Amino acid sequence: MISLVSLVLAAAANQDADVEKVLEFEKKVRACVEKAKPAYVFFGQGSGVCISPDGWVLTNFHVAGDRDGQKVRLTGGRRFVADVVGFDPHGDISLCKLQGAKDLPFCELGDSDALEVGQTVIAVGNPFMLGNTSWEPTITLGIVSALHRYMDNPGYFDAIQTDAQINPGNSGGPLITLDGKVVGINGRIDIKRFMNRVNTGIGYAIPSRQIERYMKAFKEGGRALEGCILGITVGECGDERYENVGRYGDGVFVAGVTDGTPGARAGFQPGDIITEIEGYRIGNLNRFHGVAGNWPQGETVGVRVRRAGGTVALRAYLGDPAQVLAREVTLLPADPGFRPAPDERAPGVRLAEVLKNGPAEKAGLKAGDVLRAAEGKLLRNWEDLKAVLKEKKPGEAVKLRVAREGKESELELTLPAPPPPKTRE
Amino acid sequence: MAALSILSAPAGADDDASAALARVLAELRQRVGKSVVALEVARDSDPQGTGRAGAVAAHRDYLNRPAGPCSGVIYEPDGFIVTSYFNVSGVLKKNGIKVTLHDGTEHRGELLGFDERRDIALVKIDAAGLPALPRAAPEEIVQGAFAAALGRAPDPAAPTINVGIVSAVNRMKNAAVQTDAEMNYGNTGGALVTLKGALIGVCCNIKPDAHWGQSGGIGFACKASEIDKLLPRLKKGEKIDPELRPHLGIRVGEGNPEVQGVHVAQVEKDGPAEKAGMKDGDVIVELDGRKIEDFEELREALLAKKVGDEVTLKVKRPRGPKEFEDKALKAKLDGRPDE
Repeated sequence: MISLVSLVLAAAANQDADVEKVLEFEKKVRACVEKAKPAYVFFGQGSGVCISPDGWVLTNFHVAGDRDGQKVRLTGGRRFVADVVGFDPHGDISLCKLQGAKDLPFCELGDSDALEVGQTVIAVGNPFMLGNTSWEPTITLGIVSALHRYMDNPGYFDAIQTDAQINPGNSGGPLITLDGKVVGINGRIDIKRFMNRVNTGIGYAIPSRQIERYMKAFKEGGRALEGCILGITVGECGDERYENVGRYGDGVFVAGVTDGTPGARAGFQPGDIITEIEGYRIGNLNRFHGVAGNWPQGETVGVRVRRAGGTVALRAYLGDPAQVLAREVTLLPADPGFRPAPDERAPGVRLAEVLKNGPAEKAGLKAGDVLRAAEGKLLRNWEDLKAVLKEKKPGEAVKLRVAREGKESELELTLPAPPPPKTRE
Repeated sequence: MAALSILSAPAGADDDASAALARVLAELRQRVGKSVVALEVARDSDPQGTGRAGAVAAHRDYLNRPAGPCSGVIYEPDGFIVTSYFNVSGVLKKNGIKVTLHDGTEHRGELLGFDERRDIALVKIDAAGLPALPRAAPEEIVQGAFAAALGRAPDPAAPTINVGIVSAVNRMKNAAVQTDAEMNYGNTGGALVTLKGALIGVCCNIKPDAHWGQSGGIGFACKASEIDKLLPRLKKGEKIDPELRPHLGIRVGEGNPEVQGVHVAQVEKDGPAEKAGMKDGDVIVELDGRKIEDFEELREALLAKKVGDEVTLKVKRPRGPKEFEDKALKAKLDGRPDE
């Protein structure tokens, strides 16, 4: 009888000890919730997260788009107006700035490369807008189920998969590790039924490292473009229709290289097997596209290829140089109405395109013209011209020296006037 | 799911916690499981629906309701059982509620009162000395705290336990907590408890037409503190109607962006706003001195009022594309069922 009682007591004591152990873990979760919750942003029918005290907010492109003047709220209901600064429609990220924000609670970006499968994470969001009016977001707990998931349209090309429950309204909200850092932006789920978009334990987040690499482009403004290596034709290793293309999992093989492209300039050769980009192992085509998309166009990445029994290290430019230059032009204070060609041959700036009815066309410029000087300064390349144009305000004129068919002439280009202040009619 | 998250956490300090959680849940299942009962409910066909939404609702209620038992919680030792109203709604057969206790004894249950909005119902069985659960203290119910949902389906003989965290503490107008412990038809009506086995609330609001669906990581439990308040009324057999919410009687639309406020698209006939002299096109910019910039703010301001209160509204009435006339209107709020 006595032994029975002591047994029961011992069991109760063990139970208490077990509960205490779990409550210790719970404490970590609660501390993480306390840190993450104030940085949460109620963003329309979705979510966002504040990542700096001066109000930079990350969300999904499918939540915020590219619009300015969106009304948002913080946890607790404090209101702000958010303007989208930079965005990536394909990668589904918008970076916004909250007007007049300072000293805001925030969560800094963590290192998604350090995540381990099985690691505990929480998601903060507003599924089914349940938190509207109480302005208390929903917290869900789960683990990292898998890393580097690849999906297209929108391009979750290096996604974190989690079983922390994510539902409609969680989009744009943060995925957070127990140290209170944002390792991903939740934005996509696998669902089981048509029309009822309820989570099945499979959610996807865009990793923080990828977002970090786009941050410069986002803060410059406008649309960011995903990286890709142009000018090479690639195939899956082990494809039986080809010879000497390795085994599936080795990497991706280069079937062809087009002259005059970034791929050719990087030094790729037919027969190369790409095994690594910036230290990331490339196992198949999805991973190849996924890793390349981790950087915006215009960046250069290190690539390792297997060639003739050895390995060769290459530097590959990501994206289409012409497109990258066109983006830079649109970021100037005023668009001069031409698009420079990525020309490395002659000094000066060759114009690839002159926009119809634009300031450049009105000034008499034509595609193929080479700009030799601007404001009396000789131009070596686009960077020189960009420096001149950056100093010009909308409405001002720029003196240009132009070479066309061996002859040089001077002309003046008047930059477009600033847009009239927005009137609301 | 949370259990899994600990169980599969990376090697390290949490390993201990993961094994501990498994033992805690096993013990909870035995101990708290005794306070969770199985309900089997027999219904008559109800071609007219349950009275509100007609045949479509009837279809949802009857055909989409899975066969098998559902769950209830022993709320007081002398035979009072609280369950989700959804579990006992519809046209019940005579003696249509069978309650099976943890030891297998069966009782005939009688439906006393219910509250459709909070989705709870009180069932009485003829028994005494039943194991009721202690209530969780308010400080235990916080976001991120572990919570376990216990039900008695599909097999009344064995409780089911799902674990998660408290996702939010203020849902359904503060009547419910939200949890990511997975909830389905079977464990709705069951108990949501802390890891020490104290009752947080009764699982509810998992219905066929809930847009958060089932097992989607969004579940609710009507707070025990809320049920405690309602219990005397439920014991008297009251069918608690939805509370009346202060109501102004306008339809909101989009209007002239020159003014920030709530643009009134249409004033409801004979409603408080019309009686106060409001016109279509007015823009509400203030309620009792509180600035109103959007619909959410108007809603919040109204929810802070009581039915019958008189409120002063400042509106801007359009007199031209950019001209407005300021008006102050006094409206006596009436009530409308909360939904």
